[in-house]
Amino acid sequence: MHGASVHFPIALVLCSFALDAAGLLFSGLAARRGLHAAGYWTLLVGAAGTVPAVISGLVMTKGVVLGHDALRLHHLFAWPAFALIVGTAAWRSLASGFATRRELAAYLAVVGLAAALVSAAGYWGGEMLLAR
Amino acid sequence: MEMPIPAVSPGRRRALAIVASLLAIGSAFGLSVGLRRAEARSSRQQPTPEAWLETPTPTSTARVAQGRRLFLGSCAHCHGADAAGDEGPDLHGAEVSDRYIAHIITHGIKGEMPSFAKKLGSPDIADLTAYLRSLE
Repeated sequence: MHGASVHFPIALVLCSFALDAAGLLFSGLAARRGLHAAGYWTLLVGAAGTVPAVISGLVMTKGVVLGHDALRLHHLFAWPAFALIVGTAAWRSLASGFATRRELAAYLAVVGLAAALVSAAGYWGGEMLLAR
Repeated sequence: MEMPIPAVSPGRRRALAIVASLLAIGSAFGLSVGLRRAEARSSRQQPTPEAWLETPTPTSTARVAQGRRLFLGSCAHCHGADAAGDEGPDLHGAEVSDRYIAHIITHGIKGEMPSFAKKLGSPDIADLTAYLRSLE
């Protein structure tokens, strides 16, 4: 269950970051709006996907928050990623678009960090499986 | 298209985002505590029947003290310094045989506890067993 559910937030948050970043590159208003709308929905669905991922992970480890070795490394990346993704999705759901390019750049820095953290958590999760 | 949102000030948005993050982490940690308590309860309540048939491992104050030293060095990290459970289960009042304790220490539990076969010999396991038996 955990192995299946984690792939949704990983993929969607990475996509959200890529879509919003691509929005920076386009000068056409329609293209920018379309990319940011796609970035918005992928982030929201990705954030919703973190909930089953976290619950199934906790059930699988019988409530262990940190653990040892690869599990510890997995958790050290997963918890900040979870907090950042939920927080960013909450912020974005209350914002009606980006007021300035600077706001968009700051937002991208935070989502980029969340995407990097969730990817690292995924990497260490994979290491646990491969090490068996 | 993004949902039309009523105007929320930037400061308020940031505050709500932080609250959402803290709530998410708090809920996850709350669930973790509940799961660990349930696990500690269930793992204590599986007695091994041969515990009532075997001759108890000889014990003494010195042996219990040595067992505690070994416990703090090798086991407390997961079972807690007072053996009341942390990541590993509570070890107080475990109704399991000495043979079972020795087996778990030597072989570990796949995916849950490492083997201590290389670190702890038979006398060490006897000391640890004496210490575990001294726990009320």
